[in-house]
Amino acid sequence: MDREGPILEALTRRLAETPAEFLAEPRIGNVGRVHTDAVVGDLLRLLGHDVPVRDLAPFSASDRRGDRNRLGITLVLAWLLADDWFVRNRSDVAALLTLLGTTAGELAEQTAATKLVTDPDRREEMARIALARLGLRPAGETIAQAQDRLTTLSSAERQRVMRAARVAEERARAIREALVRKAAHESADKYTRD
Amino acid sequence: MNPLDAEMTDAARYPTLTEHGRRLIDFMREHPHAPIFRNESGNRLTAADVDRVRAFEREVATTDVGWNPAGVPEWLDAFVDRCFETTPFYRRYGARPRDFREIPTVSRADLGRDIAQFVPDDIAIDRLINFQTSGTTGHPLLIASLPIVAASYLAFHKRAMRRVGIELTYGRGQVGVVLVGFQKKCFTYVSVTPTLDESGLAKINLHLDDWRNPDDRSKYLDALAPEVYSGDPLAFAELATLKTRWRPRALLSTSMALRPALRQALEERFGCPVLDIYSLNETGPVAVFDSRAGGHVLLQPRMFVEILDRDGRVLPAGKRGEITLTGGFNPCLPLLRYRTGDYAALRHGASELVLVDLEGRPPVRFRTMLGEWLNNIDVTHALKRFPLTQFTLHQAARGDLVFRFSGSRGDDEAVRGALLSLFGPAQPLATEPDARFDDKVVQYTSDIAEAML
Repeated sequence: MDREGPILEALTRRLAETPAEFLAEPRIGNVGRVHTDAVVGDLLRLLGHDVPVRDLAPFSASDRRGDRNRLGITLVLAWLLADDWFVRNRSDVAALLTLLGTTAGELAEQTAATKLVTDPDRREEMARIALARLGLRPAGETIAQAQDRLTTLSSAERQRVMRAARVAEERARAIREALVRKAAHESADKYTRD
Repeated sequence: MNPLDAEMTDAARYPTLTEHGRRLIDFMREHPHAPIFRNESGNRLTAADVDRVRAFEREVATTDVGWNPAGVPEWLDAFVDRCFETTPFYRRYGARPRDFREIPTVSRADLGRDIAQFVPDDIAIDRLINFQTSGTTGHPLLIASLPIVAASYLAFHKRAMRRVGIELTYGRGQVGVVLVGFQKKCFTYVSVTPTLDESGLAKINLHLDDWRNPDDRSKYLDALAPEVYSGDPLAFAELATLKTRWRPRALLSTSMALRPALRQALEERFGCPVLDIYSLNETGPVAVFDSRAGGHVLLQPRMFVEILDRDGRVLPAGKRGEITLTGGFNPCLPLLRYRTGDYAALRHGASELVLVDLEGRPPVRFRTMLGEWLNNIDVTHALKRFPLTQFTLHQAARGDLVFRFSGSRGDDEAVRGALLSLFGPAQPLATEPDARFDDKVVQYTSDIAEAML
């Protein structure tokens, strides 16, 4: 966060206006429209980087259930990073690839790609995370302010996600226990078997 | 104490039971020719449940099944939204794809890994029951369900029977249905059906181990005189050999594919229509065979059917592929693009949708060295305590068995032992642990001509 980046509001507004093409289904196997690896390749060229094809491998996938949200987030990030500010101010290619790959994967564990566009808090978090991973902070903020705000947003979301995961796991356990109890095994009348 | 831990009582099994119903249960259970009833169960329906099931039956009776061949049913959009909002498994997909066809498919293996992930957040779990699948297309599954789901099957049976002009009329003091099994081990009990004015329901096993005297089987069935028999083709084949005089109004065949020759023989033997119903534990009754329609006619108004190729692409009408289902009436298991493992083509008829050339689970009998026939379900039961991911059992013409399996977690000898205790210690048996399979296996096969009915 040593360097000052663009105005935060410009980025959150850009996220809110994400075009439908960047929210379309990422191509995985024979389903989906957008080839995420091609989009990332185009973005990096726009930002002044030529990367070997092997560096784009993480942006094509075969597991639809496991990868579609991650690639969806990569596409939203690609739209964000295509902003003029990033075109004019070249970022480190390794940091860009980590943001588009690893960071997108981490966000995918917690949030649906569309929520990063539709929810104001998640838009701000997304913009701040992107800046932080590129060593930037929002224009007009001190390092301390930027760190503090990002921590607040991220930890609140992390706690919410962890709380939800705990509740979900407790319920799943209760369901599993209910299903193996004697009363559940006795079942109930059906006119036929299946 | 948690009420789920409590032993079941008759009050819980039959919450609305009247004196008429009690007398009928006693009659079925204590008849001098009755079999040994090995279990207890009931309808579990409260008065409010009964009202809901009746309303559901009216809805099913009056709602068309179908959609524009180029589109999807009207109810589908809200259903998909609800799945993504309330069901943990689908929520993990992330945002809902705009195009329905971009939603990932679900397989039986997904259900098997943790069925709890498919139970929506708003389902109260204090009345959960389970249905165990017979596992003829994979290893057995435990499906979460509710008493009203079990009772709602009848709505689709009635719809199927209406096609051949049958309206169920039996009520108080009469036996509505006898579910017939023919297995070494079978869950058996008696009950009443509140939505049919407490007509009786008996689930029995024709296997001789369940009877005091072999002749009791036909005497008991004639005494019960049920309006309908239901069962699988193997059980019906045995039923047909008994000297019963009673003529039911219909036979409902489920669980396995019913071959045309057996259907015809059963219709002649019992003098009534035999309805071949394609039904899965995961979905309930899906379709009923109608020769005039040229296949199995869909029964559920809120069940969307797609036919997919091996790679998950939607096939056009008339092309044969895997039957893939969305919707259903079990609120504990909302299905989104569930690949059934069964194959057919979908045809849009003038007023209904038909599964053509349905290829489900073929019934296979296995012969022990003593000449006794075993239902393939007995094999499934014998193996259900093992976490097998897939298996196949084949019997050669001489009677030798070959059992190929995967996922036994090193318990290979115990698996072998379970089969030998079923078939007898002298049974020639070759086993192949850690076998590799294609996606779709035909689980039970035999070279013995009489094994296939």
